Amino acid sequence: MTVNEHRPLDPEVEPKPGQPARARRSLAAILGLDRFSGLYVWAVLILIFTLWVPSLFDTATNFRIIAGSQAITAMVALGLIVPVACGAFDLSIGGTLGMGVCIVVWFQANHHGFILGILAAVAFGLLIGLVNAFIVVKLNVDSFIATLGMGSILSAGTTWVTGGFQVATGISPHFTAIGQRQLLGLPLPVYYMVVLAVILWWMLEYTPAGRYLYSVGGNPQAARLAGIRVGRITTGAFVVSGVVAAFAGVMLAAELGSSSPDVGVPYLLPAFSAVFLGATQIVTGRVNVLGTLIAIFLLATGVKGLQLAGAPGYINSLFNGVALIIAVALAVRTSRRKA
Amino acid sequence: MTAALTVTSMSKSFAGPRVLDSVSLTVEPGEIRALVGENGSGKSTLIKILAGFHLPDEGSAEVGGESLLLGHGEASEAAGLRFVHQDLGLVNNLDAVDNIALGVGYPSFRGRIRWRQERKRTRAALAELGYEFDIRRPAGSLAMSERTALAVARAMTPRQTPAKVLILDEPTANLPAAEAERLFKLARRVADSGVAVMFVSHHFDEVFGLADSVTVLRDGKHIITRPVAGLTEDQLIEQVIGRKLEHVVHDARAAERRDVVLQVAGLGCDVLTGVDITVHAGEIVGIAGITGSGRDEVATAVFGGINRAGQVTINGTAVPPMRPDRAIALGMGLVPAERHANAAFMTSTLRENITVTRPGIHFRGGLLRKSPERSDVATWLERLDVRPRNSEFTMADLSGGNQQKVVLARWLRMKPKVLVLNDPTQGVDIGAKSDIHKLIDEAAADGTAVLVVSTDHEELVRLCHRVLILRRGKVADEMTGGRMDHDLITAATIGRDRPSAA
Repeated sequence: MTVNEHRPLDPEVEPKPGQPARARRSLAAILGLDRFSGLYVWAVLILIFTLWVPSLFDTATNFRIIAGSQAITAMVALGLIVPVACGAFDLSIGGTLGMGVCIVVWFQANHHGFILGILAAVAFGLLIGLVNAFIVVKLNVDSFIATLGMGSILSAGTTWVTGGFQVATGISPHFTAIGQRQLLGLPLPVYYMVVLAVILWWMLEYTPAGRYLYSVGGNPQAARLAGIRVGRITTGAFVVSGVVAAFAGVMLAAELGSSSPDVGVPYLLPAFSAVFLGATQIVTGRVNVLGTLIAIFLLATGVKGLQLAGAPGYINSLFNGVALIIAVALAVRTSRRKA
Repeated sequence: MTAALTVTSMSKSFAGPRVLDSVSLTVEPGEIRALVGENGSGKSTLIKILAGFHLPDEGSAEVGGESLLLGHGEASEAAGLRFVHQDLGLVNNLDAVDNIALGVGYPSFRGRIRWRQERKRTRAALAELGYEFDIRRPAGSLAMSERTALAVARAMTPRQTPAKVLILDEPTANLPAAEAERLFKLARRVADSGVAVMFVSHHFDEVFGLADSVTVLRDGKHIITRPVAGLTEDQLIEQVIGRKLEHVVHDARAAERRDVVLQVAGLGCDVLTGVDITVHAGEIVGIAGITGSGRDEVATAVFGGINRAGQVTINGTAVPPMRPDRAIALGMGLVPAERHANAAFMTSTLRENITVTRPGIHFRGGLLRKSPERSDVATWLERLDVRPRNSEFTMADLSGGNQQKVVLARWLRMKPKVLVLNDPTQGVDIGAKSDIHKLIDEAAADGTAVLVVSTDHEELVRLCHRVLILRRGKVADEMTGGRMDHDLITAATIGRDRPSAA
């Protein structure tokens, strides 16, 4: 969180030459209301639900449930940050995740072992990333359309691989242990998610590759004229989101111990909501790892609290949809103020 | 005979000095009138007033003897004024039929569009102008002259009222010579039908080749209107720039010649043909030309940002086209025109904007080290006097001049062997402008070969050892020493292409 401490906190404050701009920080800026608003909202949500449904909400179990249930979503969202940072959408991540689940289960159901299954699933994610990149970079198809189509193709793929039914035979207990065992009271996928977050945070903030990604996303033409190989960066971004989504699929399969068609679809929208809502946090106007994580758990807390308070099951989709729209509206507002 | 168009003491100011100062003029039916003047002389304002886009502060206009209601586009239309604006206003993915109908509406019968009649009308309108092409092709796929013809055909298609005056705003700005020739014929046909034609132009060969008479505006004032017959090019240039042209004898003061660094041979792209440029170490070479001369493209083409033909070498090593990364690795840098579109990352910090070309030098032990990066950037912000001097501000927090300095710093930091700049001080305040000029001088003094493309001819005189003049995609002239005067450069850019005048 110290990465960008010198960024001007309030773009409205016109810095005068020779006069330190920091002297004119508002109270809201000191409290970090703009960059850390998510944390404040999260705290308020926890407080509200604790008071509203005290018997159910305020338990350590609930915290663990939220963390565990969001680990997969968070991984997909973290992978999605990379293409979005370079200005591309990847709507095929839900499908790739679904295929990851189906492939790793298929390998076990057909007695090929889960290790080979995991490798195959991740390799498949890499392949999908390359195909997406080929369509976007070489065929010049808009990434939104290209990956929307790819998502649909993958959704057909999951039905083909599973035969349209749930598959739960031949699953190794060693495999399910990867997803179900706990460490210090938290399921293992939470730790995988944290490791992934650290890797991506390092990649985006502390490597030239991250700098190139944000540059391409900020102004592809300027990036090209500054010598950045825009096509290669975009390709790399799709490969990352594909591999991460497939890996998240493997984790989901280990959690569920089965596969079924279209299992990945529900992960798409929350990932987008979190990435865009995350862009309003920490490094405002830019998709980033910490902001995305805050957004994931903020959204999950809201949904869980409402469910415990008796809201119907569809609250999940409703909440995520509203959050996506609000997040993008906020992001547009921030970039307008800046440009 | 009633005049086709009469403008009487028209004045207009936009919050400040008058951009149009009591201008009066008259155009007769069948006359072709050229309207010339430097940028900012008031030509565009006058045309926009006639089109009903601006309301003048004072003055009136008559079309065919009838008073024109000013400030209403429909009134101008109804009075018989027809416009072809510089961008032509065509919808690229619609065909000729639809584009014409956009102006005048579709002929319909009980709510059904009568396509056959519509196509017939379109063909007839184009044939009348001497054009025949597949009218079902989308406008975007037509040649520039065909597109221009289509825009003229649309303007001339009969409506409730007949056309009395056709006004063309820089119709040949983007036309190659052969196509411009066709447009001349087209304009002549329109005039022969009794319509007055008024066209804005920067090309003097058009004025002399096409117009019957010429009106010169300067600083918003009407300077002269006279027949083209008997007028010389030098006289006209003097009227346009308001000073006498002095032909200085070629000053052969040879700049000390060091090694050739940048060698461009046979450079070509869609608007450039066979351009040769040589820049020595420490030399600043300028390029001037009017819009459409290839001036816009030459910098990017040399750098390899657009596809190009020909050979570009730095110290003898070839720079491949379409590979900015290779060009940079070989020691070239480009400060492109239109900073916002081509150079600035508005929401990124100054630090990221400056180090974008090579962030890797601060990548040590697996981490991009930000504090050495900050001090690296701070040195450059200080050297270029960027304000505010804070590497963590975003580009959007800076004024235009400071943004341009940041872009320049990006390249100076690379210590380039060749620095190519396209309009380096466009939209930059005077103080920053002179700073940028000093920095360019310093870079050259350090041995960098500098190529400056500019629309600002005083800038070229200030900076350059030599200036190349582009006309119609070719190097038409070269100026050195005492011949390098901004009026002479301006004159050379708009001068006629004389057959082997050298």
